[in-house]
Amino acid sequence: MTRYLIKRLMQGIPLLFIISVVLFALMMSMGDPVATMGGRRVTRAADYERLKRQLGLDKPIYTQYLYWLVGNTWTRIDLDGDGVAEAPGTRLGILRGDFGTSLVNRKPVMQVISERIPNTLILMLTGELIVILGALLVGVYSALRQYSLLDHVVTALSFIGYSMPIFFIALLLMTVFAVLFKRWGLPYLPTVGMFDPQVGKTFGQVVYHMVLPVISMSVVSLASYSRYIRSTMLDVLNQDYIRTARSKGLPRRSVIFIHALKNASLPIATIVGLDLPFLLGGAVITERIFAWPGMGRLFLDHVSRADTPVVMGILMLVAVAVIVFQIITDVVYAWLDPRIRYD
Amino acid sequence: MSKKPVLYTVFALLVVASLVLSGCGGGITTPIVSGNTPQASQQPEPVQASQQPEPEKKVATLIFPQEFDNLAPLYSSMWFVWTTWQMFDHWAWEFDENNEPFPRLVTEIPSVDNSGVSQDGRIITMHLRDDLKWSDNVPMTADDFIFTWEMAVSPQNTVATTYPYDMIESVEAPDPQTVVVTFSEPFAPWLANLWHGILPAHILRPVYEAEGTIDNAEWLKSPTVGSGPYNFVKWESGSYARFVRNENYWGTPAKIDEIFIRFVPDDASQVAALKAGDADLGTFISFSDVPTLQDAGLDIVIEPNGYNEFMFFLVNEEKGHPALLDVRVRRAIALAIDRDGINRDLFYGLTKTPTSFWDALPYYNDPLLQPYPFDPKEAKRLLDEAGWVDSNGNGIRDKDGVELEISHATTIREARQDVQAVMQQELADVGIKLNVNAVDDTLYFASYADNGPAARGEFDIQEWSDGPLFPDPDIYYWLCDQIPTDENPTGENWFYICDEELDQLIRLQSTQVDPVERRDTISRINQLFYEKVYIIGLWQDPDVYAVGSRLQNAKFSGVTMFFNIAEWDLVP
Amino acid sequence: MESTTSQIASLSPDDLETPPLNLSQLAWRRFRRHRPAIIGLVVLTLLVLYALAGSLVFSEKYANFNDTSLRLRAPSAEHPFGTDSIGRDVLARTIYGGQISLLIGLTAVVVETFLGILVGALAGYYGGVVDSILMRITEAMLNIPEIFLLIVMAKYFGGKIPELDVFGRTFSGSVVVIVLIIGVTSWMYLARIVRAQFLSLKENEFVLAARATGTRNIEIIFRHILPNSVAPIVVSATLGVANAILAEAYISFLGLGVQPPTATWGNMLDGANNYLESAPWLWFFPGLLILLTVLSINFLGDGLRDALDPHGRTV
Repeated sequence: MTRYLIKRLMQGIPLLFIISVVLFALMMSMGDPVATMGGRRVTRAADYERLKRQLGLDKPIYTQYLYWLVGNTWTRIDLDGDGVAEAPGTRLGILRGDFGTSLVNRKPVMQVISERIPNTLILMLTGELIVILGALLVGVYSALRQYSLLDHVVTALSFIGYSMPIFFIALLLMTVFAVLFKRWGLPYLPTVGMFDPQVGKTFGQVVYHMVLPVISMSVVSLASYSRYIRSTMLDVLNQDYIRTARSKGLPRRSVIFIHALKNASLPIATIVGLDLPFLLGGAVITERIFAWPGMGRLFLDHVSRADTPVVMGILMLVAVAVIVFQIITDVVYAWLDPRIRYD
Repeated sequence: MSKKPVLYTVFALLVVASLVLSGCGGGITTPIVSGNTPQASQQPEPVQASQQPEPEKKVATLIFPQEFDNLAPLYSSMWFVWTTWQMFDHWAWEFDENNEPFPRLVTEIPSVDNSGVSQDGRIITMHLRDDLKWSDNVPMTADDFIFTWEMAVSPQNTVATTYPYDMIESVEAPDPQTVVVTFSEPFAPWLANLWHGILPAHILRPVYEAEGTIDNAEWLKSPTVGSGPYNFVKWESGSYARFVRNENYWGTPAKIDEIFIRFVPDDASQVAALKAGDADLGTFISFSDVPTLQDAGLDIVIEPNGYNEFMFFLVNEEKGHPALLDVRVRRAIALAIDRDGINRDLFYGLTKTPTSFWDALPYYNDPLLQPYPFDPKEAKRLLDEAGWVDSNGNGIRDKDGVELEISHATTIREARQDVQAVMQQELADVGIKLNVNAVDDTLYFASYADNGPAARGEFDIQEWSDGPLFPDPDIYYWLCDQIPTDENPTGENWFYICDEELDQLIRLQSTQVDPVERRDTISRINQLFYEKVYIIGLWQDPDVYAVGSRLQNAKFSGVTMFFNIAEWDLVP
Repeated sequence: MESTTSQIASLSPDDLETPPLNLSQLAWRRFRRHRPAIIGLVVLTLLVLYALAGSLVFSEKYANFNDTSLRLRAPSAEHPFGTDSIGRDVLARTIYGGQISLLIGLTAVVVETFLGILVGALAGYYGGVVDSILMRITEAMLNIPEIFLLIVMAKYFGGKIPELDVFGRTFSGSVVVIVLIIGVTSWMYLARIVRAQFLSLKENEFVLAARATGTRNIEIIFRHILPNSVAPIVVSATLGVANAILAEAYISFLGLGVQPPTATWGNMLDGANNYLESAPWLWFFPGLLILLTVLSINFLGDGLRDALDPHGRTV
């Protein structure tokens, strides 16, 4: 097992490298962060030249990638534009833990990202929890009552659920629970941000603001997971060992929950495990609609300003998380299913 | 069997961990430097009932649809950053709601009459007020001004712009209350461009001496020491920023106790919050939202800021479409677009067709020119006269085998793209095919060196919102030596127009310190623009604010937007 | 009634109810039984008809015709779906927008199927180093969330392709861009499935036989193995259309998709963003159409999966 782990980790490294190269190449051609630094008008020529030089954007793309990767403390840079490089570089590069500074607000990238990670995690983990519990409930129930009216209704709703674009659901929810409820004088839900700044970031405020975004995000996943659970449950329920258990006279409940569910939940573990790291990306669209201060919105804001360090930072974090979680999932999967063995 | 509960426990731990993380992490909490502001050190919650009944605190909420990059003077040109400066860091002089300058940190505005400005226009002498102090009780002196200039021109600082500080030869302080600025050459636009915020030397100079740059100074990210009526307290990234009244303010104290600025990126959400009374001020309101806001009882304030939306023609033999070399074709295009109709229908008549580039500077916009009217018949006649007729029956005019197909480009924004579609149809009606493009703004405005399409002259008509260097009438785009080439990639004349007469006039006005002479020159430029149809004004692009019913005395300037924020008041 | 050479008593023709069914007939039978799939097929056909035949009713000129004095009118007899922010008829725009959205859905799937089969077949058949490299690339692409990739690539390619004139319609070059980026960000799942298929099928006897007779590798891949893996590919492609239409809607909602004045259902939803309360017909109709299309494709895909691939080889 340890050898397998090490092998997987080693395989992850070239993977990360490829990802970083491809993404960096894309980012570099994505627009000019200095072009819009003039505020409402085009940046003046003299400032343009100077800013490009100071931010290191006048170097060719492979040099910029190199500096991003290993920093520039080992070389000299020309800060005052006289063509002579005499000032020592100050960047350490991502391999030494320096994610760089944002081109937009000059803050260290790690600080920018870490301010937003908790907000995203709260939203996504809660959503994931609701999705899993909900999907289990719905999936198991409709598997047990296969072909009943309830099953058909639930199936139809599930299909509708994952056929709708997320923003459509979000807008519908906003219209009903915020706009219409307020018009009818009912207690209504907030639609903007994570908390009311005058009250502060209290638990109650966050929960209150979390309701609509979480529901919007969960509907789609809940619908598709519940179908998946339903079909795996059905597969499992038709297995011989279930029939054996039943004929042995075991109570129905223990048959379902102990034997059937345990085996049906293996694929769920895989899916959850693979989904978790993508949570870091945040639900880009949901965060934008509800102005939730998370990683998704951070990504959108900085991509539109062509802020390479921050965008690369987010993407690399997500990529690392995905690789790590894939390994964790494989390990957990092997642990859960004794039939699986890795070299 | 024992494995599932473990999974669930792990999961639950993750959820708990993230909730805990969110409680601790996130946001920049800064200790307040000034010791005399008891309100600031409390939790931001309404005061609980104590022994003596305290007066209800006045807390205002403003909405910004875009979050600021940073708050430091010199480091950003973003509108939202400039706007916030008046709260905590004054300019030497500021501009009121009519965009007239008034002295703030100085005793009077320097001019030739009071010997503040030398006869040749090169030396500006400023007398500072003697009661100026920073919020930590350190007096503000001429030294702070000298330091600001030094930081602006230091190559170690990645400031947003060095203009106009790089044109200054020296800044001296013969005594702590006097600042003498000497320009290398007479510089007419100094009033509009100098001293946009002062850096506190006593805080930043040590940082500069230690690190060689102030880029990473703590003060840049949380400017807790300032010279304005409010003190910065906290900025929670992505959510809000909080300011409290500066108890050490050298001027009249502000009336409102606390101000929150909330970041709401979505127009629809901003409107909803304003209608619900969750906020007292909305900024950057789009015209389409004005009727709903007015119905909900909010006051809409429109403040000219020098910006107007223009279409710029590319007139160049090598680069552009041959048709556009003929002034009659350009005039026909101006006549074929119903600009008044666009302003009336799409913008609810809240804005007008600009008559000139200097629309928001009435002094320089004299005599007033009338924009070309909507006259498709005359447009067709002009095109016929210029020799562009539809000889092959495809609905598009042509001449010498070249079709009259011109390309138009602007950035991605709903209002602009809507107008593009309208113009496309109106021009098709007179036989001109308009190929429309909408490009993301960081791509559109990329430089010549980065193959920016506009800079490379790939579009026959470019459109964006622009104006002179408001409140100064200075312009520079159309200078012949600003045409970008491989040797001169930073040229800003993206219209590739080299018109000798225009070039001369533009150069002349930037040296004329006498306003009357300058006005005459600018009138001549304006007339030239009109006759040669180098630009077509589409709509005025002022700042639009939505003021809630609680907020009183709020006035706005086109330059120093929140100039009278100390006088704003809240009535329940 | 033929005599057989077998000694076993054979069934007389009267005892045989129907002739034995071949695979595709069996599949069709299973498909027919799946009621939602049939409904899905019907609805989808109607929607396609709506988009195509509708252009016979309304000309493109009419769909693009704007009159700013008629902006934001509620649905009426003259404009059954109302008018948009510059006075264009929403009904006609949903028709022409539907053409683009469906076109994007189909062509994106063509791109992604092509890439998926190419990568999966080569990786599965040749194995070894080729497999390693291709799988690393696949994993690398999979490791980046799709929406991030879409946003980054949309910005990268934005504005680089000019307007096109195809099938008598002029539309903005961003359509090609969207098709490419959706295709390039979704081929990975199919590649994995195809690879799994090839891994298991290439040890089969018919492949050994083909090799023994000296058939070239390319022929083995495309003429022998691939036809046997058609089932999961068809299911994946069908569901891929739904995913592509949704992806287009998402990216247009963020403002990075097809640019107006070319209409798609996605960018009509984006344009409705500022008029949620004041003009709900702007988002309701395109949203409903997207929902119905994706829903019916999902039903159809579900039915196809039951019919062609009952052992669940697809994800």
